[in-house]
Amino acid sequence: MINLFPYFPEKISDFMDKSESILIKDLEKDFGKLKALKDINLTIAIGQIYGLLGPNGAGKTTLIRLLIGATKPSKGNISVLGYNPFRQKAFVRSQIGYMPQSPALYEDLSARENIHFFGYAHRNENFSKRIDEVIAFVGLSNRANDQVYKFSGGMKQRVSLACALVHQPKILFLDEPTTGIDPKLRQTFWDHFRELTNQGVTILVSTHQMNEAMFCDRLAILHEGVLLADEPPRQLLWKQKAKIKICLENQIEEKVVSNYPQQLPQILQQYGLETDISRIEIEEETLETVVLSLINDHEKQIIQGEEQ
Amino acid sequence: MIPIFNRLFVMTLRVLNQLRRDKRFLAISTLFPMIIIYFIKVVFDVLASPSFNISTYIVPYAAFIVHFITFILTAIVLVRERTAGTMAQMFVSGYQQIEIIIGYLVAYTVLATLQSLLVLLELNWLFDLGFSSIQMTSMYLVMWLLAIISMAIGMLVSNFARNEGQVFPFIPLVILSVILSGIIVPVEKLPDWAQVLSYLTPLYYANEILQELIRGGTLMDSKLNLLILPLYGLVVVAMVAISLREKD
Repeated sequence: MINLFPYFPEKISDFMDKSESILIKDLEKDFGKLKALKDINLTIAIGQIYGLLGPNGAGKTTLIRLLIGATKPSKGNISVLGYNPFRQKAFVRSQIGYMPQSPALYEDLSARENIHFFGYAHRNENFSKRIDEVIAFVGLSNRANDQVYKFSGGMKQRVSLACALVHQPKILFLDEPTTGIDPKLRQTFWDHFRELTNQGVTILVSTHQMNEAMFCDRLAILHEGVLLADEPPRQLLWKQKAKIKICLENQIEEKVVSNYPQQLPQILQQYGLETDISRIEIEEETLETVVLSLINDHEKQIIQGEEQ
Repeated sequence: MIPIFNRLFVMTLRVLNQLRRDKRFLAISTLFPMIIIYFIKVVFDVLASPSFNISTYIVPYAAFIVHFITFILTAIVLVRERTAGTMAQMFVSGYQQIEIIIGYLVAYTVLATLQSLLVLLELNWLFDLGFSSIQMTSMYLVMWLLAIISMAIGMLVSNFARNEGQVFPFIPLVILSVILSGIIVPVEKLPDWAQVLSYLTPLYYANEILQELIRGGTLMDSKLNLLILPLYGLVVVAMVAISLREKD
């Protein structure tokens, strides 16, 4: 018989490093015939902003739901802070905050009442002081007692973030937190996220905004349930070919190299110290092209796989 | 205090707070039954005949109207919790399903208490029922119990609906139950196979007790039905507890 409920040790910190907050091993999730996630292996360090990037239907939300214990893995192991999020749901949930894709709030209640309600079960000491703190943190102090239905989309997102933060979680799961909010507020959100990681909070954020993905410390690219990359965003860019234009006194030399931070010093060495280089231009690929080319390659692989 | 009671209290308070703010919901759940009863009065006045004793019918009718409206409203409110994502968020925020169920039941019982009272007072005023205060109190208790059971059924139905629209197919079932319950025609007049179905609807038990009271009996004369009614409620709540899950 296939073991759908793999045995999981009480606490698995023995095979987890102290600097890791999330560990995923050989994870698979099926919904009937549909394989939502295939063979995922990931490690997320404490205090990182870890980005999940991928098109709609890539498996981002499924992965987050697995990590918060809302659904059971079909295969493989997950450890969140050393605990199994599905088996030890109650404990894991007291340690995490989750902000869903669209704000799940009670419109008839005020911002403060929502935050109080959603934070109450996992409240810490000085709960009411903490509520004031998070309200100030998301910049809603002067609207805290207004009913949520009067709020704009962005303000609801802020209430939603406050709800996820109020019990001082060690890990924050944010499912497309900045969808549909303006660039200024988005910047504010990311400032908040950085502030939180400085306090030691780990953040897992899913997005399909490329400019946002660049703010992450590390990036996982998901497509059709497969993990295509798991690297810092800069390194992803460097892997791709970049065009380097070296402007000399009377000519411009163009070179196409990959991993230019390492290649460039070597190129410059060829010119020697005496050569008068007036300027250097580097044309990097954008993250968007990098991600799209990874996805296109993967799609080709899938088609080839089907043909064979 | 024990943590679960703290959380239950917060849950109940949250639902009550919402009720208090949602004027439209309050109006629908209290005024609608009263308006419908008023129009039933109008209809009865037109169709009046000396051989027809209106009080035999009107109290159970009112009980049905309360049952129906409470059921639909509870089901829709709970489905709305699902579609808005707040149900999932409650689970993630550490609330247990039993706290959600009981919190809702307690909060809505406050509403049912008010609703049944208003309806019965209106009946007494419009139809000049002429029952004793003990009879009225007993009828109130039956209606109140039925309203709470209706909420539980609404919650149960909400677990099987993915959106508000999927609540509507259940409405014919409730309409059917009024025929099966004996409110319109005596259960003995139904075909044998249909009589069995009567036992499935809470309206049947409520109606039996109400009829006994109308005939001049007391609650003591319907001990069995009076025991079955709350048990029915408990069974439904247990079914809600089993089926209310954090969905995949």
